[in-house]
Amino acid sequence: MKKAILRNIAIVSALFIVTFSIMLITNYFQVRDTTPLQTEVVETLKQLNDANNTNLALQEQIRQLDLLARKAYFVRLDHLMAGVYILLGMLVVFIVSARFYFAKDKNIPVKTIDPVDEWVDKTQARKYVVWVASGMTAVALVFVLLSSPYLTTKEKTSKDGAAETNPQETALVAEESAVPEAGADTLQTAAEEAVSEVAASKVTHNSFRGNNSNGISAAKGVPVKWNLSSGTHIAWKQSIPRKGFNSPVINGNKVFFSGADDQARELYCYDLNTGEKLWSLAAVNIKGSPKQMPKTTKDTGLAASSVATNGKQVCAIFATGDIICADMDGKQLWAKNLGAPSNHYGYASSLLAFGNEVFVQYDNQNSPKVVALDMATGTERWSKSRTEKITWSSPVIAYVNNKPQLVLMGNPAITAYDPNNGKQLWRVECLSGEVGSSACSANGIVFGASEYAKLVAINATDGSVLWESNDYLPEVSSPVATKDNLYLATSYGVVASFDTKTGQTGKVHELNTEFYSSPVIAEGKVYLFSNDGKMFVFSADKEFRLLDSFETGEHTFATPAFTDNKIVVRTENSIYCVTAN
Amino acid sequence: MAQNRFPKPDFESGYKYPEIHHAIPNEELLVAIDIILLVALMGIVSWAVIKKRTRGPILWVSVISVAYFGFFRKGCVCSIGSVQNVALALTDNTYALPLSVLLFFILPVLFAFLFGRVFCAGVCPFGALQELVNIKNYKLPKALTTVLGMMPWFYLIFALLYAVTRSSFIICRFDPFIGIFRLGGDIGMITCGVILLIMAMFTGRPFCRFFCPYGALLSIFSSVSIWKIKLTDKPCINCELCHNACPVDAIRPPYANKAKESRLRGVKRLLNYFVLLPLLILCGAFLMRSVSSELSRANKEVRLYDMVMQHEANPGDVLSLELEAFYGQGDSIEGLTQRYEKVQADFKLYTTIAGALMGLVVAITLIGLSVKRTRKQYEIDHAACVGCARCFSYCPQYKIGNESGNIAL
Repeated sequence: MKKAILRNIAIVSALFIVTFSIMLITNYFQVRDTTPLQTEVVETLKQLNDANNTNLALQEQIRQLDLLARKAYFVRLDHLMAGVYILLGMLVVFIVSARFYFAKDKNIPVKTIDPVDEWVDKTQARKYVVWVASGMTAVALVFVLLSSPYLTTKEKTSKDGAAETNPQETALVAEESAVPEAGADTLQTAAEEAVSEVAASKVTHNSFRGNNSNGISAAKGVPVKWNLSSGTHIAWKQSIPRKGFNSPVINGNKVFFSGADDQARELYCYDLNTGEKLWSLAAVNIKGSPKQMPKTTKDTGLAASSVATNGKQVCAIFATGDIICADMDGKQLWAKNLGAPSNHYGYASSLLAFGNEVFVQYDNQNSPKVVALDMATGTERWSKSRTEKITWSSPVIAYVNNKPQLVLMGNPAITAYDPNNGKQLWRVECLSGEVGSSACSANGIVFGASEYAKLVAINATDGSVLWESNDYLPEVSSPVATKDNLYLATSYGVVASFDTKTGQTGKVHELNTEFYSSPVIAEGKVYLFSNDGKMFVFSADKEFRLLDSFETGEHTFATPAFTDNKIVVRTENSIYCVTAN
Repeated sequence: MAQNRFPKPDFESGYKYPEIHHAIPNEELLVAIDIILLVALMGIVSWAVIKKRTRGPILWVSVISVAYFGFFRKGCVCSIGSVQNVALALTDNTYALPLSVLLFFILPVLFAFLFGRVFCAGVCPFGALQELVNIKNYKLPKALTTVLGMMPWFYLIFALLYAVTRSSFIICRFDPFIGIFRLGGDIGMITCGVILLIMAMFTGRPFCRFFCPYGALLSIFSSVSIWKIKLTDKPCINCELCHNACPVDAIRPPYANKAKESRLRGVKRLLNYFVLLPLLILCGAFLMRSVSSELSRANKEVRLYDMVMQHEANPGDVLSLELEAFYGQGDSIEGLTQRYEKVQADFKLYTTIAGALMGLVVAITLIGLSVKRTRKQYEIDHAACVGCARCFSYCPQYKIGNESGNIAL
C-alpha cells in the first residue's frame, strides 16, 4: 500500500515535471526574443523627442511606456523563475519518492543474464562509431554546401522568387506591399502621424544616388507632388553660389553639395530644415593644384562630381584633381591634389563614402586608378591602377552575400574590388565608348549599362555574365534595380524596365525628353527627373506604371537626395527642398 | 541586478539615480578556502578508495561538495571550465591566468595521476550531485556507451577551439548544472540539467560519462596512475557482483578471446584502421577547416562584422544596441574588418587542428575496438572508473577480510 502511494507520487511528479518543462521551454523562447525597450512605438516616440526635446508630455509618455515595457518584461521573467523553482521542487519530490520506492532493492545489483560476448559488443560498437563519424561528416558537408557562395546565389536568383535576403530589397518589398492595418493601436497611429513631423531623420543619403550609390533610399513619407512656382510643398529654395552638375547629399540636418567656376571651387553645407547656408569651404592653397583651370565642356564643368559624407566628415573633389575634406562644422581636415586628370570633357566621377573611407574613381588618360582615402586624415589606404580608358562613371558598393564589393564601370570592363584592400574580385569586359553611367546592384547581381555598348547583368559571386541586352541604353543616367526589376532612363527619352532574372524587356515609356538625372527608388516608387525639369513618378514593380508627372520649371541634371519626408533637388541655378508637409 | 542591464531612458529628466553599492565578498579568503577544501576532499577520497576501500566518506564528501562548491560557491570556479582558461593562457600571452584557476585545473590532474579520478568521485559537485540522486542503475548497451564515450572528447576539442579563438567558453555557457546551483539562469540549460539528473537517477552519471570534457582529460592520467584502485588484495572469484554493481560500467568481465573470427581477419582489420588513421585525421582537418567560417559566427567580432555589413547595406534600419555601441564608440569598419580577418584566420588554423584531433579520436576508438585481449578475472578500467567505491561492499573476497566494511548506501 505504502509502496503503491510512493509509486503514484513518483509517476504524478514525473508527469508534472515533463509537462511543466515543455511549458517553461516554450515560455523561455518567448521571453528570450523579447526586446522590451526596442518596440516600434517607443522608438518612434524617441525619434520625436530627438527632434523636439521640449515636449514634456511626450517625454512623460515615453517614460510611462518605458516603465510599462520593463514591468511587463520582469513580471514575465519572475513567472519564469517561479516556474523553475516549482520544477526543482517537484524534482526533489520525484527523487525522494522514487528513492523510497526502490529503497529495498536498490542495493541488489542487476545481474546480467546471458551476458553478451565482449567481441560482439565491440563489433557492434565499431558499426556505431562508423555511423557517427559518417553522420558528422555528412553534417559538415551540408554546412559546407549551404555556405557555398555559389549555392547561395543560385537560391537567390531562383525563378520562383525564394526568400529575399538582401536587406535593401527586403525593405523595398515591405514598402511595396505595405497595407495600413485597420484599427491599429491609436497610440501607434499617433506616433506614426507624429513621425511625419520629425525634422531630422536617421535616413541618410551620403553619396551620389544615396548610400552605396545604389539608387535606393529607405526614406519614409516621401513627397509625391510639389509646385516650385507656387511654393506648394516647398520648404525652402536657394540660389546656388557657384555652378555644378553634382548632386546633393544629406546627413542628419545637413545638405552638402559643391560648386565651382574659374574663380573658386567650394564645398557647401546648408540646413535641411531652413535652407540656411551653414558654411562653405574653398579648395585653396592645395599643393600640386593646377594654376590654370582645366578645360571642361559646358555640360560637365568643374564640379560635376558629387560630394560624399559618412556623418563625421564630408569630402568634395573637383575637375582640377583637388580633393578637400571637412568635419561636419566646416573645419577643413585635409586637402590634396591627386594629379590634374586628363579628361577632354572634365572629371565627373562622384566620391563614394564607405565607413571611414572615401573611394575615388580616377580613370583619366594619364594614370587611371581607384583610390581609397581615410576621410579623417586623407591618408591613402590603398590604391589600384586600372587599365581603363577615361570614364565619367562613379563607384558603387554592391552587397553580395552580405559582403561589400566596390564596383566600377569603365571602358572596357566592369570591375569589382574588395573595398577593404582593393583586391580585384572579378572583371567583365563588356563596355566600350564613353562610359558615363554607373552600375547598380540587387540580390547579388550587378547591372551595368552604357550607350553604344550593352546592358549586362553579372553574377557578383563569380563575375559570370547572366544575361545581356541591347534594347535601351543610358548615356549619363544610371540604372536602379529591385530584386525583380531593373529600371533605366536613356538620353533619348525612353524609360524602360527589365526583368532582372531573364533580361527580358518589360514596360517601356517613350517620354520625348532627355534624362541625365538618375532614377531613385523610395517607398516603392521610382522618382526620375528629366533634363527639362519634369518629375516622373513610376511604380517600382513589374507594371512600372507612370503614376504621375509634373513640371517643376527648372532644368534639372542632378539626382535628388531623399530622407524621411523630404527631397532635396539641385537644379541648374538653385537648390530646393520639397517637404511632405 | 538584471534591471541594471537595461539602459536608462535616454533623455535628461533631472532625476538623479542613486549610487549602487555592492558588498564585496572577501574573495581572497574564499579562494584560499576553495583550494584547501579541494585538496582536503580529494585527500579524503584518495584515502577512502585506496587505503580504506569504503564508500561512506565519499558520500559525505559528495554532500559537502554539492553544498559548498555547488550551492555556496555557485559552481564557479570549477575544474571542468578551467580547461578553457588554461588553453587560452597557453595561446594568448595577453591573457592573465588566475592562480586559483590554474590550481583548480592542475590539482585534480595531479591527483588523477597519483590515485585515479578521485576528483570525479565526489569532489566535483557535478559528479557528486548525480551520485546523490542516483536511485537504481540500469545498464546501457556497451556498444552505445562506447560511442557516447567519444562525445566528451569532441566536446573538449570544441571547448578548446572556442577558447583559443576568444569566442566563447562553451563549457561555462552550456553548463547544465550551474542553473540548478544558482537557482536561476538560462532556462534551457536548467532544463538540460534537470533531464540529466533524471537520467542520473536510473543510470550512473550520464554527464560524467558522455559529456564531461575534463573527465576525458583525467581519464588519460587515471589510466596510468601510480596508486591504482583495487577491489581486493585477495584473488578474484569471478562472482560478477562488482561488475553488476558498477554504475559507470568500469569493470571489465573476464574474456577468453574465443571469438569465431580468424586471426588473419582481425589483424587485417587492425592494419586497415592503422592505414585509415592518417586519412581520418586529414579528412577531419579538411572538413572542419571547410566549416571554419560557419563556426566562427560564435565569435562576437564576426557577429558584429556581419551586423555592421548588413547595416551598411541598409542604413535606414533601426540600429540595434550592438550597432549603437559600435558607431557610438567611433569604432571604424576598417578596424573591425581587420579584427574580423584575424578571427577568421585563427579559426582556419584551429579548426584544422580540431578536425585532425577529432579524426584521431575516431581512429583510436576504432583501433581500440579491434584489439582482443584475454582477461581471466574482473578488472577495473581505470580510465573509466570514477572512484565511487560502490563495488567494494559487493566483493565477497573483500568482505571476508573486512567484515566491518560498510554496506553500499
